[in-house]
Amino acid sequence: MRGSAFDEISFFSAIEASGARALLIGRRALVVLGLPVLTAGYDFWLHSEDIEKLNEATRPFDLAPNRDPNDARRVGRYALENDEHIDVLVSDARTAVDGFEVRFDDLWSRRTSVDIGAAQVFIPSIDDLILTKRIAARPKDAEDIRLLERLKEVRDE
Amino acid sequence: MSDRRLPSLSAVQATARFSNRRLTPEEFQAYVDAPVSEAEREEALRLIRWFKKRYPTPAERLAYAQRSYARWTAHQR
Repeated sequence: MRGSAFDEISFFSAIEASGARALLIGRRALVVLGLPVLTAGYDFWLHSEDIEKLNEATRPFDLAPNRDPNDARRVGRYALENDEHIDVLVSDARTAVDGFEVRFDDLWSRRTSVDIGAAQVFIPSIDDLILTKRIAARPKDAEDIRLLERLKEVRDE
Repeated sequence: MSDRRLPSLSAVQATARFSNRRLTPEEFQAYVDAPVSEAEREEALRLIRWFKKRYPTPAERLAYAQRSYARWTAHQR
């Protein structure tokens, strides 16, 4: 069950204050941009040197990592969990379904800062979000790419 | 909504497995490149315009996402 007491704005504020290089990706980023899609958890792509910063920032929310930092670096991902579920990608680069290498540093350099009131959230550009969708390459990722293309049309109006 | 109209747990799980499988490069590109009818395109644009007008700030959109997921999970029980 999702904990209704989870204060999302404080959560994002804590991440921002930690200085962790964390990009919000996945469907929650699509929602921020203006797509009304259903989503359960949160997905971040984090700089691999910043795992400890993120873990420390989210500890007050009773979020516990399911791997220790070195193990997470070795595997390339981990999760922070309680009632909420936060998937964290920590690879320097991932390969898209077509073989294209998607690099964290490239996405970070092109990031967009989004004001959500008491906090700033960093998200990739729309074109970079499309690239991240090509990593997992599930049917729902293809659907999300089609929606992101429509979103670009609306933004150009 | 009546319980009789809800899909079974096994149907939900089967749909999730289908939706979460990794596609081959060819399958994925075919999904992405599938033609969009004008009606489908207009419906998507209408939804996006509505959402952005109803929830003009990112914070309001995030709050909407939390509420809508809570509603959805309440229907699953």
